[in-house]
Amino acid sequence: MNLTTSGISTICILLLSLQGPGASAETLKATVSESGKGQLVNAVVYAIPTAGLSDIEKSAGNKIIDQIDKEFVPSVSVFQTGVNVEFPNHDNVRHHVYSFSPAKTFEIPLYKGIPAESVSFDQPGVVNLGCNIHDWMSAHVFVTDTPYFGVSDVEGNVVLHDLPNGAYNVYVWHPQQSVATESTAQLIVLEDGDVPNLIFSVQEKKQWVPFRAPTRAAGSYR
Amino acid sequence: MVLGAVFFSVNQANISNARLHIEEALQITANTFAKTLEDRESILTDKVRLLSGDFAFKSAFATRDKVTILSALENHRQRVGANIMALISMDGTTIADTLHPDNVNASPALNDLIRLAMSSERGEASAIQIIDKLAYQMVVVPLFTPDPSALILIGFVINDELALSLREFTHSDVSLLYRNEQKPWQIISSTLGAELKMQLSQEFTRDAMASGQVFDLDFRGESYLTRALDVQEGGLGDGVAILQRSLDAALAPYLRLRVLMLALFGIGLVLSIGGAAIIARGLSSPIELLVKTTKRIEEGDYSEGVRIDRKDEIGTLARSVNSMVKGLAERDKVQSLLGKVISREVADELLSRKIELGGEEREVTVLFSDVRNFTSLCELHSPHEILDLLNRYLTRMSASVERYDGIVDKYIGDAIMALFGAPVSQENSPQNALACAMEMLSGLKDLNGTLMEEGQDPLAIGIGINTGKMVAGNMGSVKRLNYTVIGDGVNLASRLEGLTKRYGVEIIVSQSTRDQCEGVNFRELDLVRVKGKDDPVAIYEPLPPAEAQPDSRMALLAVYHEAIGFYRSRKWDQAENHFKRLISEDTDKKIYALYLTRIAEFRRNPPPPDWDNVFVFKEK
Repeated sequence: MNLTTSGISTICILLLSLQGPGASAETLKATVSESGKGQLVNAVVYAIPTAGLSDIEKSAGNKIIDQIDKEFVPSVSVFQTGVNVEFPNHDNVRHHVYSFSPAKTFEIPLYKGIPAESVSFDQPGVVNLGCNIHDWMSAHVFVTDTPYFGVSDVEGNVVLHDLPNGAYNVYVWHPQQSVATESTAQLIVLEDGDVPNLIFSVQEKKQWVPFRAPTRAAGSYR
Repeated sequence: MVLGAVFFSVNQANISNARLHIEEALQITANTFAKTLEDRESILTDKVRLLSGDFAFKSAFATRDKVTILSALENHRQRVGANIMALISMDGTTIADTLHPDNVNASPALNDLIRLAMSSERGEASAIQIIDKLAYQMVVVPLFTPDPSALILIGFVINDELALSLREFTHSDVSLLYRNEQKPWQIISSTLGAELKMQLSQEFTRDAMASGQVFDLDFRGESYLTRALDVQEGGLGDGVAILQRSLDAALAPYLRLRVLMLALFGIGLVLSIGGAAIIARGLSSPIELLVKTTKRIEEGDYSEGVRIDRKDEIGTLARSVNSMVKGLAERDKVQSLLGKVISREVADELLSRKIELGGEEREVTVLFSDVRNFTSLCELHSPHEILDLLNRYLTRMSASVERYDGIVDKYIGDAIMALFGAPVSQENSPQNALACAMEMLSGLKDLNGTLMEEGQDPLAIGIGINTGKMVAGNMGSVKRLNYTVIGDGVNLASRLEGLTKRYGVEIIVSQSTRDQCEGVNFRELDLVRVKGKDDPVAIYEPLPPAEAQPDSRMALLAVYHEAIGFYRSRKWDQAENHFKRLISEDTDKKIYALYLTRIAEFRRNPPPPDWDNVFVFKEK
C-alpha cells in the first residue's frame, strides 16, 4: 500500500516562518490524528534538520522502560541513538524481555527488579520489545539519530523543544502505521518566536494481537 | 383381509419408523461430523499456537536463517504429529515449507488460505485444502515476536481414517467430498468401498442434494438414506460430507421379524385348520356313535351302550346315555319280569303310578277256575310231571284271560284267579269274563286232546264268575304288596267255582253277572245263600246260544225250567216227574239227581212256610 494510491493521507504543513537554524531555541508543535478517526496517541514525531545531523552529539543518557502490571510502560518510546535503557520490573513475577528486531536484538532472561545491565540502543530503527513469559506484552522503541522528537499524548499533541532556527523535515511514526515513516516528511523552517503546529494524519493497518491472559483465575488462556 | 390390512399398516409403520430413526441418526452423524471437524481444527490451532508462542522458534525465526527455520518447523511438526508445517512471511512469500523443503513456492491453495488469514480479524484461518493431490485440514495462525511477523501453517492429512473413526461412533457411512473451482468432486475420505465411492462421486451433485436434506440413494440394489452436510464453501473450495445409512440394514431386524411373523401366521393357520379338523372329527365320530346308540335304544335294543372313554362333555354325554340305556334296560327287565309274575296290566299300572297301599272301590268281575281232583292227580304223578302239566295248563288258561283283557290276579296252586275291570276298568267285564270262561273250556278241550295223545288223563275244571263292587288296590305290607281285589264278591266267585262240582256243571255265574250278559243263553241252577249273606243268590250256568243247539236240547231246557218252577212252588210230584223225565232223556244227569234228592228230603221234612226256595247245604 502506498500513499498515492490510498489517497488518504493528507499532510498539511503550516509554514509560519522560514529561517535557518540559529542560536535561539524554538518550539515545534504537531497534532497527530488517525485518518478518518480521532486523535492518535503514542505517535512519534521527530524532526531532522535539512542540514544533517553530523554535528549533533549522540545521547549518552539513561532511559527507563518499566514493566508494571505485566505491561511495558510506556508502550511507545523514542530515544536518540546511543541511549542506555533500563528495564525495571515492578511486578512480583519475573519477566523475560526480548527483541528480535534488527535495530536491536537482545534478551534479558527471567529477572526481577532492576537488571544489572542496561541495554544500549545504538542503531536507529524500530525495536519491538516482548516478554517471553507474557505473550501480550509488547512495546515499541523508536531509535533515531536526531535529538528532536516527541510522543503524542492522548489528544494527539506533540511538542518538540529546543530546536535551533532552521529548516527541518518533520516525520511521524506509529507502530501500526501502514506506510513507511520516510514518506511522512513535512518540511518546516523555524524562526524566532514561531511556534508552528504541524498536523499529521496517519493511516493505520490492522494489527493482530495475542490475547492477554485474564486477570482472574477463571477463564482460559488462548 | 383384516390380517392383510394389519400387516400392511405395520409394514408401513415399521418402514417409516426406520426412516425416522435413520434420519435422526444421520442428523446426529452430521452434528458429530461438524463437531469432529471443529475439534480437529481446534486441536490443530492449539498445536500451532504452541509453536507461535515458542520462544525457541521465535529465536530461530529471528535468525532469518531458512535452514534453521525449516528445521525448527520440521521438529515441531514431528512433535505434534502434523503432516505439514510452513512459515509464510507477512508479505506472502514462503519462508519454509516442510512439504517442499527446497522452498519452491507452496501450492496456490496455500496462497488462498494465507490471503484468508491476512484479511481475518486475528490472522487465523482454517480450511480443507488439496496439496499435491492430498487433502489436508489446514490451520493458519500468526507468529508474534511479539508483533505479528509471519504466519505459521499446520495441516493434517484427511483420509479414510477420519470417516472410519466417525463410523465407529455413529454407525453411519461417511464420505467427505471436495472440489475446487467447479472441478469434479473428489472423495477425500470415505467408509465406502471403491465401487460405491465411484458411484457416489459420479452421482453426487450439489443441486440434487442440498445440505440438511435427506435423499434416497440406491447402491447396488440397497437403499441408502443419504444426507449431505456442507462443511466448506467459497474461495477455498467446497466440502460436502455425505452421510449414509442403509434402510435395508435398519429394516433387517424387522424383515427377519416379518419372515418370522409370516411363518408363525402360516403355522398358526395350518395348526388351527388341522386342530379344527381333528376336533370336528373327534366330535363327529362319537356323536355318530351316540346317534347310532340312541337309534338302537329307540328300536328297543338295550344290549349295549356307547363305548366312548373321554373326559370331556362328549364323554359325560356318553356316560349319561349309557346310564340311560342301563336304566331303560332295567325298567324293561322289571317290566317283563313283572308281566310274567303278575299280569301285564297290573305291571303297567304299578309302573305308571306311584305304588302305595290302599285301593278303590270299583265294579270288577272275578273269575275263579280250579282243576277238579287235582290232589288225587298229584298223588299219581311225580311233582315234576305235575309242575310240567300245571304249567302247560296255566299257560293255556292265562292266554285266554289275557285275550279277553283280563288279568291273572294270582295262581293258587292249580287255581286261577282272574280279574276283569281291574286295574283297568271295563264296561263289559262280565261278558269278557264269560267269553273267557268259554274259551278256557274249549282250550282245555284241545289240551285234553293233546294229553290223551300223550297217554295222560284229561283234566276237568270248574269256573265261577261273579260281578260286583269290590275294593281293588295294593294290599299287603309296605315292603311287599300285591295288587288284588277283595270283598264278598271275590268269595262268592270262589264259592261258585266250588259249586260247579256239586251241580255237575263247568261254569257257574252269579245273578249280577248274568244280568249284564244279555243275549246269552243261561240255565238257572239254583238259589243259594252264600255264607255271610242273607239274601239268596240265583246261580246260572251259561249255555251255548240257542240257535247253536238242537231243538231237543232247548225242549229239555224248557222242561227243566218248568221242573224248577214246580219245585219252588212245592209241587213235589210234578217236579219229581219232570226231573225223572229229564234224567232219563238228558246226558247231564247230576243236577236232576240233586233236585230229586231234595224233593225226597222235602217230602220227609217239608220246608217252612216262609221257604225262600233256598236249599241250605250242610257242608261247605
